[in-house]
Amino acid sequence: MIMLSAFPKKKELRIRQTILRGVYEDNLRIIGKGSAVLSNRPSFSLKKISLFISTVLLALLGYGNYSDLSLSPDKQIAPLSIAAQQLSPLPAETSVHPSEYAAFFGGQAHLKRVFGLAVKTIMIDPGHGGADSGTVGKLGTREKDITLDIAKRLKERLKKQGYSNVLLTREEDITLPLNKRVELANSGRADLFISIHLNYLPSKPINIIETYYFGPSSDAKTLKLAEQENAGSHYGLSDFKEIIEKIGETVKLQESRELAGSIQQHLFVNSLKQNGNVQDFGVKRAPFVVLLGVNVPAVLAEVSCLSNREEEVELNTESHRENIARYLEAGILHYLSKGEVRYEAKRLEEGR
Amino acid sequence: MKQKDSKREDNTVFVGIDLGTSRSSISASNNTREWIESYVGWPKDFIALQVVGKPVLFGAEALKNRLSLDLCRPLEHGVIKEGIERSEEAVKEIIKYLIELAKPEPDQKIHAVVGVPADTLKVNKLAIRKAVSEFVHSLMVVSEPFAVAYGMDLLNNSLVIDIGAGTTDFCIMHGTIPSEEDQKTILAAGDYIDEQLYSYLTERYPNAKFNKNMVRQFKEQHSFVREVPGEVRVEIPVDGKPVMHDITNEIRRACESILPAIVETTTEMIARFDPEFQVKIKNNIVLAGGGSLIKGIREYLQDALKEYGSCRVTCVEDPLFAGSNGALKLAEDMPAKYWETL
Repeated sequence: MIMLSAFPKKKELRIRQTILRGVYEDNLRIIGKGSAVLSNRPSFSLKKISLFISTVLLALLGYGNYSDLSLSPDKQIAPLSIAAQQLSPLPAETSVHPSEYAAFFGGQAHLKRVFGLAVKTIMIDPGHGGADSGTVGKLGTREKDITLDIAKRLKERLKKQGYSNVLLTREEDITLPLNKRVELANSGRADLFISIHLNYLPSKPINIIETYYFGPSSDAKTLKLAEQENAGSHYGLSDFKEIIEKIGETVKLQESRELAGSIQQHLFVNSLKQNGNVQDFGVKRAPFVVLLGVNVPAVLAEVSCLSNREEEVELNTESHRENIARYLEAGILHYLSKGEVRYEAKRLEEGR
Repeated sequence: MKQKDSKREDNTVFVGIDLGTSRSSISASNNTREWIESYVGWPKDFIALQVVGKPVLFGAEALKNRLSLDLCRPLEHGVIKEGIERSEEAVKEIIKYLIELAKPEPDQKIHAVVGVPADTLKVNKLAIRKAVSEFVHSLMVVSEPFAVAYGMDLLNNSLVIDIGAGTTDFCIMHGTIPSEEDQKTILAAGDYIDEQLYSYLTERYPNAKFNKNMVRQFKEQHSFVREVPGEVRVEIPVDGKPVMHDITNEIRRACESILPAIVETTTEMIARFDPEFQVKIKNNIVLAGGGSLIKGIREYLQDALKEYGSCRVTCVEDPLFAGSNGALKLAEDMPAKYWETL
């Protein structure tokens, strides 16, 4: 600083150069090319100007290599793991075993409401909101904004399909504790409940899609995710465990699994067409509070992955969000139409 | 700036665009300066298309024909509006139209710097880039107050307050590109004044018939704070008859409604800054944007900030083009190699 002020002209010029370079790097970051430069951001202050210049030089020199490095794992991993992931989880979970039918028909609670014809109210729950941003991408995209936008689009789409009563748990950016969402779903007499979230996998540069319904889980990763998504519920952990054990194979569970399967299938198959790198993590069971408290079929869809830079870029476009809404819509409609068929099946069985 | 003429040889035209909530402007290195109101309208149906005779209308023309159009103000509240399908399309149309207004030669390369409200930049910078990149060869997006600061050589120890329509943006310059902490956006801005004025007028003259657009025009013609420059009277129809109404107090109350928030944010931002440089910044505060045209606002802020020690507030000379001129200057100063990769 002292040295610089001795040459006011030079200082002025240098500031100008610093600023211009800053603008350039900022824009590189916007389009996702500036990962190498990004790591040097803290050195931007005036006090460290000399350090800054040298690091930037280094960064610029090394830029080509870095950018290659950060991109290549994506491409290398993806094809392999798709092959491995593509088939296994989804069919296993969505196929319905004969024994499960028994459980399904045995439950009497919501038969009318779970069948396609009787679904009047669909409640969509955009994850997080208000003080709770959810996960935040590297470029600053916040989960709460994306989920709300997708939810609104999904609502419009379902309305066009004739489902006039589609509700959102939140219409704007407000903090809404999970138990409040559950109350809303129950008091709004929702027949279906769909919670929209985004995944965040800090350690892996991949993009995955997965859908959950409520149930006990033994998978440590899933439990961790559940812990995250449950933060802010005002339920005690003990209430929880008991209920999980009680719930068993009920109609709700059965139907939730169906719905989750349908949504996951449509989300993944269509997303894959857009982006060959997306991976199918299938339908899973997890003890999410929002799924537990709701009395009707309820699923939680992790529709995209905010930790993946390319995906974050895409999520910032209207068209991509609209597409996700479209896939969700397709999944829901598919599930609803299945309901009708099954209703027929049940009548046949009764008549026998 | 330094080497304008030498740069123009290589058949590149530089443009600076100020993408605003209310008005958007373009400054080009071929010396064109144009602006439009940031409205885009598409004819509602084929009858409307017959009436207006164009597939898409802009600015004042769109506003005039609004009854036949689906009207979109894509950057309302300072961000690309969510949930409205056509906002992205509208931004594209505005950019396309502005660039046409700048009349580049068909074979010229266009290098553009686009200034957008600070909040738009944070949330939707990618969307903006996507919308613009179709029409230019190379592109950089910067925050609006920063473009103003750069254009006025306020590179170090200064504070730009850009009072726009949707938002008021604050930006502290300290010799580097401002980070997120150096910038702040509040919603106390032009649209907020309109809303206040609308409700004050509705309250005082319940029988008078007026709309938001008229209220905005009243504000743009008569806005002031502090001392009354003289009675403000406007014509508003009552039961179909034009009647003169006195709106002096309503105008003042509405315009002054944004000031407390602006003063508070200004002091807060300065207080957060390195104490050694606070005095310098206080003597280097610049008002920009349409809001800087409010009569008396400069004096008001200067007096309000005097409590915190000596202070000097100035206004930009040409608020309509301050942003686009600054963006143009950025574009012209930018080393050629930077343009290649963007």
